[in-house]
Amino acid sequence: MEEDGSNSNRRTSGRTRKVASKMVAALASSDNRTQAALARLDALENDNAGFEVVDPNLDDDEASLDDDDQVYMQRKQSKGTKRKTRQAKALEARKAPRTFLELLHDANLESLPPHVPTYWKAAVGPPSSTARRHFCTVCGFSANYTCVRCGVRFCSNRCQNVHNDTRCLKFVA
Amino acid sequence: MSSSTQVVVLDNGGGLIKAGFGGERDPSTILPNCLYKPLTSKKWLHPNPINTPSSSSSSSSSEQDLTSASVRRPIDRGYLINPDLQRDIWSHLFTSILRINPSQSSLLLTQPLFTLPSIQHSLHQLVFEDFNFSSLFVADSPSLVHLYETSQRPNGLLSKAQCSLVVDSGFSFTHASPVFQNFTLNYAVKRIDLGGKALTNYLKELISFRSVNVMDETFIIDDVKENLCFVSVDVDKHLNLARKSGKDNVFKCSYVLPDGVTHTKGFVKYPEQASRYLADGKDDIGDHEEISKQQPQDNRHKVDLTKNEFDLTNERFLVPEMIFRPADLGMNQAGLPECIVRAVNACHPHLHPVLYESIILTGGSTLFPHFAERLEKELRPLVPDDYRVKIATQEDPLLGVWRGGSLLASSPDFDAMCVTKAEYEELANSHKWRLGEKVVGVANATSVQMESY
Ligand SMILES: [Zn+2]
Ligand SMILES: [Zn+2]
Repeated sequence: MEEDGSNSNRRTSGRTRKVASKMVAALASSDNRTQAALARLDALENDNAGFEVVDPNLDDDEASLDDDDQVYMQRKQSKGTKRKTRQAKALEARKAPRTFLELLHDANLESLPPHVPTYWKAAVGPPSSTARRHFCTVCGFSANYTCVRCGVRFCSNRCQNVHNDTRCLKFVA
Repeated sequence: MSSSTQVVVLDNGGGLIKAGFGGERDPSTILPNCLYKPLTSKKWLHPNPINTPSSSSSSSSSEQDLTSASVRRPIDRGYLINPDLQRDIWSHLFTSILRINPSQSSLLLTQPLFTLPSIQHSLHQLVFEDFNFSSLFVADSPSLVHLYETSQRPNGLLSKAQCSLVVDSGFSFTHASPVFQNFTLNYAVKRIDLGGKALTNYLKELISFRSVNVMDETFIIDDVKENLCFVSVDVDKHLNLARKSGKDNVFKCSYVLPDGVTHTKGFVKYPEQASRYLADGKDDIGDHEEISKQQPQDNRHKVDLTKNEFDLTNERFLVPEMIFRPADLGMNQAGLPECIVRAVNACHPHLHPVLYESIILTGGSTLFPHFAERLEKELRPLVPDDYRVKIATQEDPLLGVWRGGSLLASSPDFDAMCVTKAEYEELANSHKWRLGEKVVGVANATSVQMESY
């Protein structure tokens, strides 16, 4: 059993990286709402890979930075049966898969001449109308109220209570 | 065809791999591009291929219990990020499913537009160094879709004008890509960062918020999405209808989760009830009565009783809605109708009218009922009045890209278009890797004349 070194393999490092990027976003914005919106969008591209996902939707607010137990548990669950040498582990860590956004950053597409089509230039861009429809995050219907803490929408007192009780700030790490 | 000239056609999607042999109508296999680990397992496993209509008979050998399974995918946001994982999956595909010898095969591989040089490099290494394919041709999806559609209608507008606007909404993202003379005009391509994966995750989120926690149920919620979601042609009206209670709510339906004992797959509880919305809320109460009479006879009725099922109403159309209005999710991106307009506007004005008249929908996320109808409704007002808007959905949006690849692979010129392993090695050794990228790259790929079709 690999009881030791729960921080030394690539699964943990993948997780750490993800949390780190979330923290960068958090620091860049002093605003919970922006933070919540970013985290939420990021979550839409997650796989439930068991280890590297910081699941922002767990019902108990556990998916935070300090849940070492959980990291350990997940790692324990997902590790292979092979015993690995320290060296092999180091090698593995170096080859750990990187996210697309990291690869994109490394590609330094900004340095290409302006006429070269790139991933960035193909992005559709912002909508011409800024009108955004708001749906209640609790029941899905048209929502006219905004939670002052997290920016999420709700439609009624009833839904506000559900929101406050169970999901407010859930997307904030 | 001798084995030395066999062409393996591989549409390597972020969600599904479509793979088979050049010249055939359908791929031999459709395989989820992932590994999964059931709760009870310590090992990552290969998922079973998905049954295609043509192979539905016996291949569902052993049922896999995908409940709460973890998932690992080699592709993130549409692009290969984990070559090691992709190697595992391809190795399984080539050895156990296709049973081919790569060193005696050519490979036609799809590669997403704007693939980064570092990722192209990883792909070439996989193809030539890990698997030893004898030659490689890399193609982009829109040009293959265009190729296939022109071959189906040699006298259609598409073929005469030699251009089309391919709207591909897949697993990872959605692209509007103008194609002209078999070239994808990559300077005009526009992308929305939303595809089937995000929609499934969004549906997970909604269900977990509202009824039961399904955040770990990727495979089950995919099934829910595929069977129950649709595109609304009138969101306000449908939101109001979805408020009604009881039988008056034509959108209400139930989905039964697997219980791990009697059934390992989830299912729609009353399929007739679930498809009532197709009548668009017209007051045909007679039908409803009939359905409620049928229900007790349905065997599946016995299953529920616990918290093993959930209801859906407005989630059914609020989820695909995001492709039309990503801003509602908080994304700073235009929706599909505007995406199409921007792609067209980036082309030469002479092409505008033909492009609007030659819109082809493909990709799994265009399979939602009423997708084309809604798109046309929103696109029409954005297009000059004297242009026609014509939207065609591919006959099989999951397979269109592969079929185009199969067609191309069986063309007499195909061999000449490929980069051979020897050429690859020469380029790699001479450190002219940049040149190599160009040679193997997308741009040259479809410049071949296709009159033979
Ligand atoms: Zn509400
Ligand atoms: Zn809140």
